[in-house]
Amino acid sequence: MASSSELKSAALMDQMKLHLASDAGKDLVKKIGLVYQINIAPKKISFNEEIYVVDLKKGEVTKGPYEGGKPDATFSFTDQDFFKVATGKMNPQIAFMRGAMKVKGSLSAAQKFTPDIFPKPSKM
Amino acid sequence: MAMRELVTGGAACAVPGSSSSSNPFGALANALVGSSSKTQERLKEIPTATPTTSGSNVYTGIGEPFTALPGSEFDHQLQPSGQGSEFLRGFRSADQNGFADAWDEIHNPPVHRFPLEHNQLQPELDGPPQRVLSSFLHSFVNCSHGGLPFRPSPLPGLGLSEGDKKCIRDRSSIMARHFFADKSENFVNAQVNALLSSLDIDNDIRDAGPLPGRFRELEEYWNDSQVMKPGPHAADGWISEFAQHRVGHGNPNAWAHSFEQQHGANGWASEFEHEQSQITTIDQMRGANIPSLAAMEQTRMLAHTLAQNNDPKFQNSKFLQFVSKMSRGEITIEDNQVKPSAYSAPGDWASEYQRQYNGGQSWADQFVHDEASKKSTELSHGPHGWVNEFSTEQEQHGSVDDQWVSEFSKLNVNDWVDEFGRKVVEGASGEDSADNWANAYDEYLNEQTTVKQRSETSRGVYVFSDLNPYVGHPNPLKKGQELFRKGLLSEAVLALEAEVLKNPDNAEGWRLLGIAHAENDDDQQAIASMMRAQEVDPTNLEVLLALGVSHTNELEQAAALRYLYSWLRYHPKYSTIAPPELADSLYFADVARFFNDAAIMSPEDADVHIVLGVLYNLSREYDKAIESFKTALKLKPRDYSLWNKLGATQANSVQSADAISAYQQALDLKPNYVRAWANMGISYANQGMYEESIRYYVRALAMNPKADNAWQYLRISLSCASRNDMMDACDTRNLDVLQKEFPL
Repeated sequence: MASSSELKSAALMDQMKLHLASDAGKDLVKKIGLVYQINIAPKKISFNEEIYVVDLKKGEVTKGPYEGGKPDATFSFTDQDFFKVATGKMNPQIAFMRGAMKVKGSLSAAQKFTPDIFPKPSKM
Repeated sequence: MAMRELVTGGAACAVPGSSSSSNPFGALANALVGSSSKTQERLKEIPTATPTTSGSNVYTGIGEPFTALPGSEFDHQLQPSGQGSEFLRGFRSADQNGFADAWDEIHNPPVHRFPLEHNQLQPELDGPPQRVLSSFLHSFVNCSHGGLPFRPSPLPGLGLSEGDKKCIRDRSSIMARHFFADKSENFVNAQVNALLSSLDIDNDIRDAGPLPGRFRELEEYWNDSQVMKPGPHAADGWISEFAQHRVGHGNPNAWAHSFEQQHGANGWASEFEHEQSQITTIDQMRGANIPSLAAMEQTRMLAHTLAQNNDPKFQNSKFLQFVSKMSRGEITIEDNQVKPSAYSAPGDWASEYQRQYNGGQSWADQFVHDEASKKSTELSHGPHGWVNEFSTEQEQHGSVDDQWVSEFSKLNVNDWVDEFGRKVVEGASGEDSADNWANAYDEYLNEQTTVKQRSETSRGVYVFSDLNPYVGHPNPLKKGQELFRKGLLSEAVLALEAEVLKNPDNAEGWRLLGIAHAENDDDQQAIASMMRAQEVDPTNLEVLLALGVSHTNELEQAAALRYLYSWLRYHPKYSTIAPPELADSLYFADVARFFNDAAIMSPEDADVHIVLGVLYNLSREYDKAIESFKTALKLKPRDYSLWNKLGATQANSVQSADAISAYQQALDLKPNYVRAWANMGISYANQGMYEESIRYYVRALAMNPKADNAWQYLRISLSCASRNDMMDACDTRNLDVLQKEFPL
């Protein structure tokens, strides 16, 4: 299960994947039921992106662009910024206003993309 | 986005009469920098500029208070006498165009074009205090050089500390003696006294005297500018800048008072020290810093403009402070990111603003007004304006998805932006979107300071606490260890900080400090401390392990790998396993293999298993990690931090129930283990049991209110549990309320 990616976000994605298999994850799927594509770039948005699809309809996280149609919303972040948003250090609205987060697609879907859908990493 | 406008040429800041009106910053910077190269020459030559005609007004005005100044020996010499007129002449020649013109500007507002080159030698009695002071001192020096008597002008209340004053006193005495070696002792003393009295040293209350007419204002303007730290260049541009920015000269008092309230002028002494080096480095700076100078000056101008509005809310707004700060060069904008520059002041700024921010309603309007010509925004017209502005900006950046924009406009924009605005405001009052934007911006600024602080520590810069009661304690290390054993982590931190302040080379002090921070759930500070410990003692295994763990927590894979590898290399038993040449290009698989070899070598060594466990966390092979930790626990069952590691690993692999029991074991062994409490909260939250998680977070925060992570998580849990009523308490970090509401 070890991801070969260097990105911090990869770790978060893996955790999300595990999380979705759990009960809490299933609740999330019920609550949201949308498909998000998240493009994460190491340093600058749109350069060398790694693409993840957080499918909250099926309850899985996959790597690579979404094949099953169009994602409800697509986000673009840098690694650092995604980490901050997912762990609640940065508000998605702030990220949006600063241009740290780019959004495409349905805005109502985008609004549902909040830090609380991501599980938090525990500290050793 | 707004900042970009500012930096790239806000409309409000045009410099009339300058060469390129389209880039006021550039023009001003050039003027500034252009004049600064002359600074060096100026400072050395005898003042010979022609006295201005308007100077006479000023001169008289300034002449008056001399008689009112008690105690200055120089006063007597000002009466018509040979020396007096010589002095007056000297003063006039020292007082060059800029000062006089500026003074007139203040009172008879015409728009003047200042020949910037000429205002070097007069002491700028307005403008930022350090600048004023430095120019004042320069003029002293120059007068001295020129053999001219130095006239005391009342420059009250610079807010110099005792140390500063002493420094000035000593230095000026020495300097004066040097300069006037050929003159009499009395003369020297007189000069020094003049200087000192002007600066209000020797504790005489010089500024209490009734100062006539224009001088009072001068004094006030001086007070105003007390606290603004200048940028690295000795600025002359103030004069012209002032000319540009007499926008609605409100009541200077209000501005003065509000600034005074908010700040104390410190750092003068360092400025003074920098003074010399400044002059020499000005030329180097030229090349390197023109864009930042330009940006700084523009923002300074903007800050000045904005500051003219005497609404205290406005003045207190963080935006203004941000702009001021930018103008001082303390932070700069690079690549659309705000970056702190080398001159930034430590984080008190953020807390000050936090205390004093009142909402920026009027500021928002003012800002809109200023920016109106640049943007087509209708910020004050509600959501549409913001939306349009944003979409136009997107277009400028060429990254707009047309579909998105049209969908966006098709959507019921009001709803979306209202919700957006509401979310942004986070409980503060703002109704109109400009206000929301202001609030959001302030949040952004807060974030910036925390980011700055965080990035500082991640670079290994430790941030000491203020008001440490243990400084001066005879044996702070011992005290720290005692407190740590008792489980009083925050107290232990303070005692240990006192220790390392006293003995910066005490590896044990730094190490324990690092551990205390980690247990207090502050990885940033933990890393900073541990790195210092490592500097002092590069082979300490515990330090290396701790660094590995903290970096793993922060998901910094490469760094963590390096430290864990070093652990192996420096270990007396296993160093042979780890070839040093591999240290530069570490592959996880290799390192894991080495560790496994080590484990085979000595299966009873719990530490090897611990490091292995951490390693597997890094590669997210959680099952193997859990296995390693369990093995280690069999060997060391009473190691509370080991239980926590196990718990965290289990939690990260979504075995939350197991995690919680592991944490419970840790807490049984160490009840004040803040990190374990926070981890408990996380495990509950990840299971969707938000109510429970809140209680645990609150408990963790009660033990360490500085645990920023926990505050964020608490916030998230509160909103997930729909407890928005407590959101305010969370934002204001009101632990009492939270503890009462969510007991364990």
